[in-house]
Amino acid sequence: MIHGIEIVVLIPAAAALLCGLSRDERALSWITILAAGACLAAAAWTFWPVFSTGTALEYGMWYVDGLSALFLILTAAVTFAVALYSHGYLRFERAAGGLTLRAEKTYYISLNLFVTAMLCVFLVSSLGMIWIIIEATTLVSTFLVGFYRDEGSTEASWKYLIICSVGITLALLGISLLYASAIGVIGSVSSALDWPVLMSVAADLDPVLLKTAMALVIIGFGTKAGFAPMHTWLPDAHSQAPTPVSALLSAALLNCALYSIIRFYMISEIAIPGFASTLLLIFGIASVFVASMFILNAKELKRMLAYSSVEHIGLIAVGLGIGTTWSVFAALFMVVAHSLTKPILFFCAGNIIQGYGTKEMSAVRGLGKTMPYTAAMLTVGSLAIVGMPPFAVFTGEIALLYSAVSAGMWWLTILLVVLLIIIFAGFTGRVFPMLSGSAEAEVTEPEGPIRAAPLAILAVAMTAMGLFAPESVADGFRMIAESMIGGLA
Amino acid sequence: MDLIIYENIIDICAICMLVITVMAVMSTYMRKLIQLFAIHSLFLAVLAFVVAFYTDNSHIYITFTLTLVLKVLLIPRFLDYTVERIHVDKEVRSPISTPGSLLICTVLIFAGYLVADPMTESLTTLGRNCLAISLSIVFIGLYMMASRANALSESIGLLLTENGLFLGTMTISYGMPLIVEFGVFFDIIIAVVIIGIFAYRINRTFNSIDTSYMRRLRD
Repeated sequence: MIHGIEIVVLIPAAAALLCGLSRDERALSWITILAAGACLAAAAWTFWPVFSTGTALEYGMWYVDGLSALFLILTAAVTFAVALYSHGYLRFERAAGGLTLRAEKTYYISLNLFVTAMLCVFLVSSLGMIWIIIEATTLVSTFLVGFYRDEGSTEASWKYLIICSVGITLALLGISLLYASAIGVIGSVSSALDWPVLMSVAADLDPVLLKTAMALVIIGFGTKAGFAPMHTWLPDAHSQAPTPVSALLSAALLNCALYSIIRFYMISEIAIPGFASTLLLIFGIASVFVASMFILNAKELKRMLAYSSVEHIGLIAVGLGIGTTWSVFAALFMVVAHSLTKPILFFCAGNIIQGYGTKEMSAVRGLGKTMPYTAAMLTVGSLAIVGMPPFAVFTGEIALLYSAVSAGMWWLTILLVVLLIIIFAGFTGRVFPMLSGSAEAEVTEPEGPIRAAPLAILAVAMTAMGLFAPESVADGFRMIAESMIGGLA
Repeated sequence: MDLIIYENIIDICAICMLVITVMAVMSTYMRKLIQLFAIHSLFLAVLAFVVAFYTDNSHIYITFTLTLVLKVLLIPRFLDYTVERIHVDKEVRSPISTPGSLLICTVLIFAGYLVADPMTESLTTLGRNCLAISLSIVFIGLYMMASRANALSESIGLLLTENGLFLGTMTISYGMPLIVEFGVFFDIIIAVVIIGIFAYRINRTFNSIDTSYMRRLRD
């Protein structure tokens, strides 16, 4: 019998196949939109009970608990928004010329396979399998990053492929060391890399091996998650990829790597408490710091958004690094808040780049008059992402700062507040001048309800989450946070 | 045969791999680099065979077969084909002189031993000397990737790093669960194909596979 888990994975995989068979440009995007919608429905239906009750779903090679359920539903939701936006975005490119059926086919096939792989990351039980799938996400999305085939995107995709492959190679070394320490406890069985098995024997794992393993894993997957100083691929890939893909990279792919790190982190915190969290704290602060410096000097809109992703990943790592129930709660909340907010900004960036034909922020003026809808959304999204109330990121950041204070880390709180103020100034100082003034060229809003819809849906979702996080959602977060930290006590 | 002989064969294979890695860092011809990679993989295959024979573990025989078929035969063949397609067998210039590279390799080998030292106590497997060598190969492979400005030699660096890694997993835990090994091999073969595609694309876009031309994206 096929369970919900298989259905969730098979929908995007089937969509990729259908896109391969299709001969019509318009069919491609509709297949993807329908598949993404169906996938979101299936994911919500299968995994919402797991998320709200916390009972794990486990059979065969699959393992889904509250944590994975959260990431699964989130990824499916982001994918749906991206599928909707891709429709209008690629239609514009097609109308502007220079987009062949073959290129569009490659785009949609890769997109669907990419989504399939990302969903699998959260479903499999074996940490070895997670590694394989994370590498697969890199390989598939290289084609998406290099979609335009010009100098910039070729450079970005090569950098992406090589830097992430190197990082992930180090992570594999870490996994093999973890495996070596696991077979020392339970013998050489094929389930020795399954996460529940490892959790049950975590306390007996060899601490020396585990320390090296954790350091390698955090550096390796951290490369993919975008921790500074391994983040160098990220701004290039995000800025050169087609805009819907940038949104997917930022709001879904980074989460995959983060999720893998969390899995290892939970094992390591039982065996060698404080080791992984200190590393995460260091990488987190470094990421926020580096991001703030680059945001202050950003020229291209999408690069600035990419650095803002580095910042948020850094804040999430800090939340995990503090290691209290509250801070982990904040980190998880930030994951969702960031993934709902960042695509809004990327979609606005896509509208602006297609409308004005430039990526430079200084060349864009008069957005309020030429593109009122995009301008409004850009304002909302920008205020949300820099952490203004009443949006979701604000709630996450306040919870994070509160947890830092209550853990007695005053220096950390002060440092974070200073960096967040710098980012606020840098970000708003670049974005808001684009709204006023007068445009030199004739620019109009991209038309069509399908193009406007994902922006509105996401804006409503993240505002609602900031204003009144529903009780069941908050309970779900708390339960995951407690189960993650419960292991530490 | 007793344990000592197995250990000796394994150590010899590992040391040969290390020497070949150092040779690869210094060699500047594409075809020679590809040959070195094939020989590197051959030693890895022999090592896998010895480990499989010693532990009588059927799944390591599978790893041995995969290494032999993919890394000794198929991947070098594919890389040769790529080199032919983009007409580059010229000398690739290295920004660091040969003696300088050798010195850096020596330092990296020391680093490998330094990192491995505290861990060897915890390992009970037969090839415990190999962990240090494996780490050294990984470090040198990474150094090669960082120091070369040529898309193809960067990818050979990556492949050498991966071989070093396999040396590590083979000797510290007799490989990984079979399904994981299959997946890793699958990923590697796809990665090589994609690297080939992109090397071709870089060559067409920049009229060279010298990656130092790719410096457009920066802040």
